[in-house]
Amino acid sequence: MKVIRFDNQLSKLLLTLFIFLSAILFNFSQTSIAQPIVLGVPISRGYPDGVDAERGITLAVEEINAKGGINVAGKLRPIKLEIMDTRDLEPGVPVSEALVATERLIIEKKANFIVGGPIRSEAALAAMDVVSKHKTISILSAGVLSPAYHKRIAENYDKYKYCFRTTGSVVPMIEGAVKTFELIKVKKGFDKVFIMVQDVAHARAAGTALKDGLEKKGLKILGHEVYPTGATDFSVGLSKVKAVGAQFLIPWFDMPEVSILMKQWYDMKVPALPIGYIHALQDEATWKATEGKVSHSVVLYAKAGSVATKAIPMSEHFVSAHKKRFGTEPRSEWSSTSYTVVYILKDAIERAKRLETDAIISALENIDMMGTYGRVKFDPKSHQIIENGDPKETAVSMWAQWLDGRRVIVFPEKIAEKALELPPWMK
Amino acid sequence: MNIILFGIVNSVVLALLASGFALVYGVSRLANFAHGALYILTGFATWLFMNRIGLNYLLSIIFSILIVTIIGGMIYRLLLIRVKGLPASEIIASLAIGIAIMEIFRWRGFISEAYMLPPFIKGSLSIMGVVIDWQRIIIIIAGLILMLSLWLFTHYTKVGLSLRAIAQDRRASMMAGIEPDKASVIALALGSALAGISAVVILPLGNITVETGYSVLINAVAVCIIGGLGSWMGVLGGAFLLGFAQILSTAFLGPNWQMVIVLLFIIITLILKPSGLLGKQKRLEERV
Repeated sequence: MKVIRFDNQLSKLLLTLFIFLSAILFNFSQTSIAQPIVLGVPISRGYPDGVDAERGITLAVEEINAKGGINVAGKLRPIKLEIMDTRDLEPGVPVSEALVATERLIIEKKANFIVGGPIRSEAALAAMDVVSKHKTISILSAGVLSPAYHKRIAENYDKYKYCFRTTGSVVPMIEGAVKTFELIKVKKGFDKVFIMVQDVAHARAAGTALKDGLEKKGLKILGHEVYPTGATDFSVGLSKVKAVGAQFLIPWFDMPEVSILMKQWYDMKVPALPIGYIHALQDEATWKATEGKVSHSVVLYAKAGSVATKAIPMSEHFVSAHKKRFGTEPRSEWSSTSYTVVYILKDAIERAKRLETDAIISALENIDMMGTYGRVKFDPKSHQIIENGDPKETAVSMWAQWLDGRRVIVFPEKIAEKALELPPWMK
Repeated sequence: MNIILFGIVNSVVLALLASGFALVYGVSRLANFAHGALYILTGFATWLFMNRIGLNYLLSIIFSILIVTIIGGMIYRLLLIRVKGLPASEIIASLAIGIAIMEIFRWRGFISEAYMLPPFIKGSLSIMGVVIDWQRIIIIIAGLILMLSLWLFTHYTKVGLSLRAIAQDRRASMMAGIEPDKASVIALALGSALAGISAVVILPLGNITVETGYSVLINAVAVCIIGGLGSWMGVLGGAFLLGFAQILSTAFLGPNWQMVIVLLFIIITLILKPSGLLGKQKRLEERV
């Protein structure tokens, strides 16, 4: 057997060369991998809204990292996601869980920024103090429609200047809804309304605000009922809708059982157009699951973008990228808002050219970019996203009607793809 | 007519939800707090058999009910038997099993609104001007068949008679050679099967969610408290009382009064007749 022997001196030379090359490589790898920017995401992962937000954020981060990361003063820095379950949407879970998760993200995971949630208003309002204490910028992109959020910032700017919100408040949402009903009144001559809301704070408040707003515009409110969360029979209420001759049926529900309302509405052929905040009907899979019984119902999304529209190019890219990555179209509005929030942060960091908190706050206050739901601008005093009905000017909400198995945008007119249609038994 | 028709549907739904819980308690004196979890387990299992494995609807239903029946029997044989006779431990153990089952579904991502079962017969019919879908009619028929079958089973079969014997006099039936643990296994399995049958009949009305498991448990317990634990007629009476009270309160007071009415009935029952309308558990204490 032939044994290969290295010359002693050659071995030493090779060893030296190996160590030298390794040192160069190690040093190179240290300098080329920039320190990541850590995004902390406190979110209720066991609920559809949380999953939607997580998917939106994940998709945006993957896209940005695929291009090298965020350009901070000429240096590309990747984003590292740290997601923690706040369980804030689960019944009976105390707000403290969300606060602990948020604080752990800042202290343990060294999050540079907080995005996404908490989703429930009570938890998000309490988390304002946590992020402000740690001087960590937080941009909410899921849930939290309470007007109290931006009111607190406006009233105590120095304390809460770290908090921003892209989800919107229920106030402009209702104002937009009233305008939409006025428009339908002009076009279809409908003026009789029956309101059905879920027995939760935001829905009750929305129901009352809608009632007041619509009455001021000359519409007649023929019924206003509050249903307990988990209600599984709407037959008596729907019979009342039929009996009083209402033309609009306005449901405001975030519980999944609302699909029963739609099935009963379809089976009973109630001659009133269901149009409202029907959260469970936002899902692409609803048509198949209800065997088309959601046909002609019109669903409000707090922000546009989860259904593609030519009027907002970024929404088209987002919807197709989402389908490619997760196999389905985006579900709720929180997918769209959570996708855009990462790009908002990227834009602000790149303009600020550093991660220093005050510089980023200033950059966010002066932001002007296109997102999946229109132009993104914050009110500099309340850090609330500015919205009306034109995506070229501000953020917009969206009304989509279920037609032939698709969600078709029918309002606002600036992004509408089709005119509103009535169910066959109402024509 | 509207109130009568939907009142009957609502009452039968409540009776179906409570029947399994009442059967288990009647025979084994065990409050099975995993009842709601077994209900949604059947729903999700049926959905999975249909949509992931590709079985037809009928086979999916049969397999799901079989699985839940076996799981129910195993829950007693492997777990609850160890804490038998310790009421607080029995409740905690069964509740823990129930929560574990439900939260496993949440953990595995069964949280979309899209989990729905199709109705047995599509479409609706009009009864004296009231439009009602076929699935609700099927619920009424299924409720009647189930109650009749249970009555026949407990009155004319050997197993059923032994279950009744255990429920009526545990010691005497043991002396007659009936094994209480065996009877409890059968009761848990049957109770779980009833939860499963209720699920496949009722769930096509809406969708399958983890939260449904909790509300099913609450409704089952409410019906049993009002009607009386351990009494079949009590369960039926409680279900009809609550079912019509809910529909009437929706019609005349507003739907948000439904839960208030349920709680009010429970409080009044516990004050006036703690054993429930036709319950037998505390009759002696009440007399004393």
